[in-house]
Amino acid sequence: MSSIDNIEPPSVKEVSGSLHPINQVKDYLLDMLADLGFEHVDGPEVESEEFNFDMLNIKKLHPARQMHDTFYTENKSSVLRTHTSPVQIRSMLKSKPPLAFTSAGKVFRKDDDATHLPMFHQVEGIYVDENVTFANLKDLIHQILYHVFGRDVEIRFRPSYFPFTEPSAEVDILSENGKWLEILGCGIVNPIVINNCNIDSEKYSGLAFGLGVERIAMLKYGVNDIRDFYKSNLDFLTQFK
Amino acid sequence: MKFIYQDLLNFLSEKPSIKTLSEKLFQLGHEHKIDGEIFDMEFTPNRGDCLSLNGLARDLNIFFEKVEPFKIFKGDIEPLNLNFKNLSTVTCPKISFLEIEVEAIGILNAYKPYLENYFSISGNNKTNFFTDVSNYISYELGQPTHCYDANTIKNDITFKNTTCNKPFKSLLGSDINLVDDNYVFCVDDKIISLAGVMGGISTACSKHTSKVLIECAFFIPEAVIGKSVKYNLNSDAAYKFERGVDIRAQEKVLRRFIEVVRDHVSIKNIRIQSFEYTEIKKDSIPINVKKINNILGIDLKEKEYLSYLTKLGFNIQKEIIIPSYRHDISSQNDLAEEIARIIGYNNIESKSLELKKKVGRSFDNINRLKLHFVKKGFSEVINFPFTKNKEKNSITIDNPLDSNKSYLRTTLKNSLLDNLLYNERRQKDSIKLFEIADVYTINDNKINQEKKLGIIISGRRGHNYLDFSMKLDDLYMAKLLNKNFDNVAFVVEEISRADLKSKKKDKIFYTEILINNLSDQTFNDLKLDFKSINFIRYKSVCEFPSSARDFSFSIKDINKFDTVIDKLSNLNGKYLKDAFIFDFYKNKKLDEIKVGVRLIFQSDHGTLSDTEIQKSVNEILRLIIDMEGVSVPGLI
Repeated sequence: MSSIDNIEPPSVKEVSGSLHPINQVKDYLLDMLADLGFEHVDGPEVESEEFNFDMLNIKKLHPARQMHDTFYTENKSSVLRTHTSPVQIRSMLKSKPPLAFTSAGKVFRKDDDATHLPMFHQVEGIYVDENVTFANLKDLIHQILYHVFGRDVEIRFRPSYFPFTEPSAEVDILSENGKWLEILGCGIVNPIVINNCNIDSEKYSGLAFGLGVERIAMLKYGVNDIRDFYKSNLDFLTQFK
Repeated sequence: MKFIYQDLLNFLSEKPSIKTLSEKLFQLGHEHKIDGEIFDMEFTPNRGDCLSLNGLARDLNIFFEKVEPFKIFKGDIEPLNLNFKNLSTVTCPKISFLEIEVEAIGILNAYKPYLENYFSISGNNKTNFFTDVSNYISYELGQPTHCYDANTIKNDITFKNTTCNKPFKSLLGSDINLVDDNYVFCVDDKIISLAGVMGGISTACSKHTSKVLIECAFFIPEAVIGKSVKYNLNSDAAYKFERGVDIRAQEKVLRRFIEVVRDHVSIKNIRIQSFEYTEIKKDSIPINVKKINNILGIDLKEKEYLSYLTKLGFNIQKEIIIPSYRHDISSQNDLAEEIARIIGYNNIESKSLELKKKVGRSFDNINRLKLHFVKKGFSEVINFPFTKNKEKNSITIDNPLDSNKSYLRTTLKNSLLDNLLYNERRQKDSIKLFEIADVYTINDNKINQEKKLGIIISGRRGHNYLDFSMKLDDLYMAKLLNKNFDNVAFVVEEISRADLKSKKKDKIFYTEILINNLSDQTFNDLKLDFKSINFIRYKSVCEFPSSARDFSFSIKDINKFDTVIDKLSNLNGKYLKDAFIFDFYKNKKLDEIKVGVRLIFQSDHGTLSDTEIQKSVNEILRLIIDMEGVSVPGLI
């Protein structure tokens, strides 16, 4: 017969918290791109117009620069970056080709509705070298999307327009319900941007791409409402262990 | 922008099915949805040339030969002696005015089918005859025109830039105060039209207008961009002028206008006057198929290359002459995109890319730090950086979303406090949160960037019998931080609940640490392995309240102890959201063991009743309480 003195108390497991799902997906993408040879670079979220727009061939009167699209600060002396591309520009100015950078983090647009938030996250990449072609870009995008969505994913490229790439493309994947979902933007770096970074665009060309982290996270986790990521609800956050 | 399938077919020599046409439009980069027989198009902002049946057919000419199905007026037109002054010829380098006087407009009973269908199928509203024709011509040819009731204009018309505050009443009746730079048409210094956006009510046509003055202009996009949004004057004209119209199209457009009018009513007089202030240049790009192949990674022959461009309207001479409607073309890369569209992006074969440098990503210090806190039960949050709180070194947002978001936060504290209170309102009794974010301040016009770690705690230390009755407090926080951050100065602050709308009694503690103050050694001491991502399928968070029920198990038969604990550790049942042992006690006097268990219930469909919870409790605990020597005093 056992005595209660011999009874061991129940074991207590250490209950872990959780990393934010957006940061998990961001890091997951960055790790994959590092494996492909991209070096990660960081930069400020409060940016100059020069780096956020001018260097990227976004002209003074481009709609994206309007007050209703971009947050300006301190009497228009700076902006909240609208993409992470300026980080790449800063890094390109300090480097010589071949170069391959990723930049990632928070970006800001003056939006706030059911499907758009004033802050979201991007992961962007740029590769500049001799003889970089659109056919190479397609290969890279396939590598990325196969990694994220599996080898069976059906991918399509569509012509698009970004001031900093030419040709530009948007890439869709075929969802389980048979609908095409826009997943990333990409293109051949506009020679104007290459020249702006003091790199000879006659000799070098580049490819660039950008992924919306929330978009990928919503698809991979099955989250339907983008706003759920930023409610800081523990019932939500602790699911992503 | 909506296009009627049948209308588009009229511009094509072949008659592709709606599906085939849709596929080709996608290949060319013209995203759209199909609603019945209507293409609802979404064009990229660089393709102003495609915003009409004619423009879209020009682009489709690569697949289906374009035809011009419409008639234009070919007769002579009398000159118009209009006193027009253009004080900004750079902004408006070309403009024409056409005056049409018709017999009594009142006898016009019905529109011809092509005009009627445009309004009935597209869903656009009719306004008055001349404005309706103007809208139709814009749909057909892409050139906006503006119709003034000619009888309302008695004096000279002036086009100019205005820089001071000026009132303007749009033809929709809205009163607008024009501020900053605007380009306007004036009569007697009164604004009759905001150029390229919308005309004014004082000169607007009506159903009775029988003499119309039609303005057909080219404005540089910079003169129009942003105006429609700024003054909330959405118009087809602004949409098109912002994206660029064809500077050479005006005569054809006005002659088509006459033809459509003539098709409906008898014309008494037609007079025209055109002003062209600068020579319209033909832009060109050198022929260089090798460059195109290098950009795309293909092997296209020059003959084929030039044939493609010809079909898109480029004129091949010694160089490639760019059509006047293609404002988006200026470089070899632009031409490469044209070729890629024609070939089809999906038909360009991928070519293997291997980057020369191999970097590999090191597991960085920030991730190391985050995982340290996660392991200790903390959850990471991400907050927006906007706040209503102004500090002396806050950065001001010039155009905030609202007045509560006018500044960038200088501390993570308030965001984390909001997160904590949000979770308390959702019955969370043990809250441990952290955030790592860049914080921006300004001093002497210099922007400073600092990465900060904010940590906030409140409530029970944990959901187990060791921690349940202990509180998260300053000692807990200090111990947690001292263990790894002993070289860092930090202050654990108690946040008073006095100003918070919170009835909770648990104390709240907060600390904030500058990441730069952490030494490499600190990070090195955080020995944690990389955590690979686990793509779980997320379950929607329930917004209905949860209910807790506590039970005290009395285990007299010690041999059953392990079985009871095993079962309690693996409880599941209807509505059961969480369960944990919050108490463990050996009662030597009674020779029994007491185990306290908390069950938490929640339904996705509504607030649970006591009956529902009790029913679930009975089912969940039945297997345990049926055991001999195990009881739950008070449980029926």
